[in-house]
Amino acid sequence: MSQARSLSIVVPVYNEAENIQPMYEEIRVTCQALARDWELLFVDDGSADRTAALVRELARRDPHVRLVRLKRNYGQTAAMAAGFDLCRGAIVVSLDGDLQNDPADIPRLLAGLDEGYDVVCGWRRRRQDPFWSRRLPSRIANWLVERLTDVHVHDLGCSLKAYRASVIKDVALYGQLHRFIPVMSWLQGARVGEVEVNHRPRRFGRSKYGLRRAWRVLLDMITVKMLTAFASRPVAWFALLSLPSFVCALIAAATMASSADRHPHTSLVISSVALLFSMVGTHLLAIGVLSELFVGTAHRRPRDRHVHIEGSP
Amino acid sequence: MSAGHRSPTPESSARPRTADPGSSVDVSVVVFASEAHDDLRDLYRQHATVLDLHGFSHEFIFVLSGASRDAIEAVKELRTAFLAVTLITLAGPFGEAAALSVAFRAAKGSIIVTLPDHIQIDCSELPGMIELLLREGCDVVVAHRHPRRDSALNRMQSTIFHWLTRLLTGATYRDLGCGVRVLRRQAADGINLYGGLHRFFPLVAHLAGFRVVETPVRQSESDAGRRRYGPGVYLKRVLDILTLFFLFRFTKTPLHFFGSLGLTTIAAGAVITGYLGVYRLLHFGPIADRPLLILGIFLIALGAQLFSIGLLGELIIFTHARDDKDYRLQDLPE
Repeated sequence: MSQARSLSIVVPVYNEAENIQPMYEEIRVTCQALARDWELLFVDDGSADRTAALVRELARRDPHVRLVRLKRNYGQTAAMAAGFDLCRGAIVVSLDGDLQNDPADIPRLLAGLDEGYDVVCGWRRRRQDPFWSRRLPSRIANWLVERLTDVHVHDLGCSLKAYRASVIKDVALYGQLHRFIPVMSWLQGARVGEVEVNHRPRRFGRSKYGLRRAWRVLLDMITVKMLTAFASRPVAWFALLSLPSFVCALIAAATMASSADRHPHTSLVISSVALLFSMVGTHLLAIGVLSELFVGTAHRRPRDRHVHIEGSP
Repeated sequence: MSAGHRSPTPESSARPRTADPGSSVDVSVVVFASEAHDDLRDLYRQHATVLDLHGFSHEFIFVLSGASRDAIEAVKELRTAFLAVTLITLAGPFGEAAALSVAFRAAKGSIIVTLPDHIQIDCSELPGMIELLLREGCDVVVAHRHPRRDSALNRMQSTIFHWLTRLLTGATYRDLGCGVRVLRRQAADGINLYGGLHRFFPLVAHLAGFRVVETPVRQSESDAGRRRYGPGVYLKRVLDILTLFFLFRFTKTPLHFFGSLGLTTIAAGAVITGYLGVYRLLHFGPIADRPLLILGIFLIALGAQLFSIGLLGELIIFTHARDDKDYRLQDLPE
């Protein structure tokens, strides 16, 4: 797996026993047509069913298949991170373990990489999921990300993506940030593109998502926004945030000064307001300085865009 | 947490052992004893016999902290009688968490058993726990004394303690008070214990990424009805649960917690100031003399502070995410 064109397919699976065999068949057909060196990495995220046994059986019959078993269930982000850390190809493709992504789309993603992109995202234009619980939240999330960052991708939630290994292995994936892989890789200096892909309804098993996560995704989005916008200069950003507080404090102080003689009893309330505003402003400034300290001493800095060397293996 | 030491490589190669191969043993038994304890000779004899019977080679490590002269004498006596007995005395009252950390470093076995200073479970259950660990491929096996014979007061205290732990962390372990645990070498190396966290050993292990199994075992005769909690420990216990709660909620996604808290606070403040603003604009009267205004602004200020702390947390986690893997591998891919 040392060639520049070698391909690793990473599939995180959690209790997907029925899907393993059909998944393997489809991927094998696609990969054999590609004339590239390839491997298929199933990352078993602590399944309780026969998933791991089935993959091991496949691996015995076909050396292209590898099994990565995690100790217990850690969630999709960790499973994908494990796959990215352990795959050996120069190109990495990730897809969902539930057969909703169509492996036949892989060549189109690879073509996107050949055009010079580092990360190519799938766009499920005709998505086969319930509207209210899945498609609407996802559309809102994508709209927000487009407003908040410079990444223009229609469908962040699509797991079918292709990456240059040199790029994705360098991206920090933790918490539940797998939804933001395009943004996180853009942070590392990657060029992000997208292609339309097929999407199929779920055949076996059941979905492991729900609407409950919307709030957390929203907070993750704020995190990502912070990382993209101001992580390289936190002190400037926090200073900007603290500005309104100081302005409000000044207004309150001025009001107090002008009315202190006429309404002595109101000046107490207004001066408290002024003090509170100046406290928040100072606090934000202090947090900014503290963040600067952390970013300055860190091994990894957000938006160190010069670090990524083009075409590196 | 010891998160910084995690690595994606499987832990079989985690720590080069410096001990010479001749001295390797299957099981290291770690016993922590402080003021009140049973006869340590008896404890040794009972457990060593059971381990011998099942063919596990073993060593015993006694960690004494503030223990009586008797205890030290007892262990010294054991050490002269049996080769595989180690005595570690802590210079001060450092507590069980510190004692276990020291003992784990000294332990040579690939499997480590921790025992409290009195016999809690029927000794004959111990080999079963070790075999469960080996068979299931998990990293930590903790005992659950069942059926439990205890005074009504103890049972009630224990129920409240477990209920509170479950409420704050979602963990469903049923016998955190039992100090009998079997763990793999890599779990002992990968868990960072401090303060009162040893009481939540299975939770800490889980948080560090290990697979933990709780198994029912018979309670020993001598353990039944023993009084374990003085009323003075309640405050400490609650503080420990809070520490754990913070570890569970903040260490991975600080903004999920501080952000939710901060935004809620800001929203409450915004509602109050919004109400006052409308009140003023509709000429119902002046608002500058109303203490409610202070409350509203105060809540907004507090919310902004909480939120910014969450952002700072996220920034710290991002900058260290590379050294800090979220997962552990069960085995290396072929």
